[in-house]
Amino acid sequence: MGLVREVILGSWSLITGMGVTIRRYGRRAITTQYPRKRLEMSPGYRGHIELVRFEELGSHNCVACGTCVRFCPTHVIKVQGEKPRARAPKRATLYFIDFSHCSLCGLCVANCPTRTLKFSTEYEMAHACRWEGVVDLMQRLEESA
Amino acid sequence: MWQTAVDILGPDLAAIVAGAIGLVALVQVNTLFLVWLERKVSAHIQLRLGPMEVGPHGILQTLVDGVKLLGKELITPRHVDRKLYVLAPVVVFTGVLACLVVVPFDEELQLRDLNVGVLLIFAFSAFNVLAILMGGWSANNKYSLLGAIRSVAQNVAYEIPLLLVVLNVLLWTNSMQMSTIVAAQSTLWNVFWMPVAAVIYLICATAETNRAPFDIPEAESELVAGFHTEYSGMRFAMFFLAEYSNMFIVTAVATTLFFGGWKSPPLLGFLPVPGVVWFFLKVYALIFVIIWVRWTFPRLRFDQLMNFSWKVMIPVSLIHLIVYAGIIKIIR
Repeated sequence: MGLVREVILGSWSLITGMGVTIRRYGRRAITTQYPRKRLEMSPGYRGHIELVRFEELGSHNCVACGTCVRFCPTHVIKVQGEKPRARAPKRATLYFIDFSHCSLCGLCVANCPTRTLKFSTEYEMAHACRWEGVVDLMQRLEESA
Repeated sequence: MWQTAVDILGPDLAAIVAGAIGLVALVQVNTLFLVWLERKVSAHIQLRLGPMEVGPHGILQTLVDGVKLLGKELITPRHVDRKLYVLAPVVVFTGVLACLVVVPFDEELQLRDLNVGVLLIFAFSAFNVLAILMGGWSANNKYSLLGAIRSVAQNVAYEIPLLLVVLNVLLWTNSMQMSTIVAAQSTLWNVFWMPVAAVIYLICATAETNRAPFDIPEAESELVAGFHTEYSGMRFAMFFLAEYSNMFIVTAVATTLFFGGWKSPPLLGFLPVPGVVWFFLKVYALIFVIIWVRWTFPRLRFDQLMNFSWKVMIPVSLIHLIVYAGIIKIIR
C-alpha cells in the first residue's frame, strides 16, 4: 500500500509542478532585450563615481581638498586644483579615477566635505584595454552639460 | 517534372525517391522548428523571451545555427575507433528515416502502409540505441562511454513497459497496420478508454528519447554532453536531428495509437480541415507537453530511474495488459 500511496502523492506533486510552469508560461517576460531597450538604473546602483552639478554654481563644488585621495583604499583617485586668483578658494581643475581598480567602497562619496561626489548609473564599462578604465570626471561633467 | 521522373525511374521507384526526399525534408524542417520551439517554450517558462534576433521572433535562428554547423570542422579525436565513430551518426539517422516510412500523416499520405507498421517502428527505433552505443563506445572518452552505457540500460528498461502498453492497442485493433489502427478509432479514440496506457506510453516515450527528466545519458552537469561529447560539426548535427526526429516519431506513434491519428477530434468533425493538419496539430501538442515536462522537472538519479521502471512501470503495465485483455475478451 505504501507504494500505491507514494505513486499517487508523487503524481499529484508532478501535476502541481506542471501547473506552476504553465502559469509562468503565460506571464510576461521580465527580461529586457538589451541592446534594443535599456533599463533605467535604480537610484541605489553604484557605477563609478561622478561629480555632482550644483544648480547654484552651474558646476561642481570640488575644492581639491584631497580627502577622497587619502581615503581611497586602492589609490585610484587623482585630483589637481588651483586658485583662480589670489585668496580665492581652491577649485579642482583635474579629476581622474582609474575605475579598473575601484572597489566601489564609497568612502570618497561618504567623506566628501562639499558633497560633490556621487555614484553614476554607468554600467557599460567593458573595455579592450586597461587604460580605458581611466575616467576623466571633469570631461564627463562638461559633456553632460 | 513528376512525369519526367516517372519516365526515367518508373512509377514505383519515382514514388520511393519522392517519398524519401519528402521525409528527409520533414526531418530537417521538423528539427529546425522543434529546436526553436524548445528554446521559446523554455524561455517563456523562465520568464525570458528566447531567440528574438534572426527572423520574426527568432524563427530563423536554428536555420542560421544549422548553417554554422555545416561550416564547422569535423574533428576526429586521436585513438577513436574510426569506423564506428564515423558510422554512428549515419546509423542514428537511418533508423529515423525508416521509422517515418510507415507513419500515416493522412488517409492517403503514407509512404508504405505495411501490415507490420508498429513492429517496424519499434524495431528501427532500436537503431537509435545502437548508434548511441556505437558513438559512445568508439569515441574513447569516459563521458561518452558512461553516457552510452546509461542510455542502453535506460532504453532496455523502458522499452518493456512501452511495448506492454502498445500491446493493449494491438489486442484491441487486432492489427499492426497503422491505417487499420487509425480506422479503428473513428468512433472512440483509444486514449478515452485506456488513459493509463496513454500516460505510461508518454512517460516511456520521454525516457526512450532520452529527454528530461530521464536525460541521464546526456546529463550536462555530470557527463558534459554524454555520448556525443566528442562529436562536432555535422556529425553532432546528425545526432541532434535524430534526437528531435525521434521526439516526432514517438509522438506520431502516440497520435496514431491513442489519439486517433489524422482523424478530427470527437466533436469537431464538421470542420473542413484536412486530416494532415489534425495529425500535425496533435503531434505538436504532444511535443509541447514533452517540452513542458522537460522544463518543469529535475533530472532523476540513475537508481530512481531504474526503480521507477522496474518497480512501478512494468508491474502497472503488466496488470493493465491483463485487465484490458480480459475486458477485450469479454466484449468481443
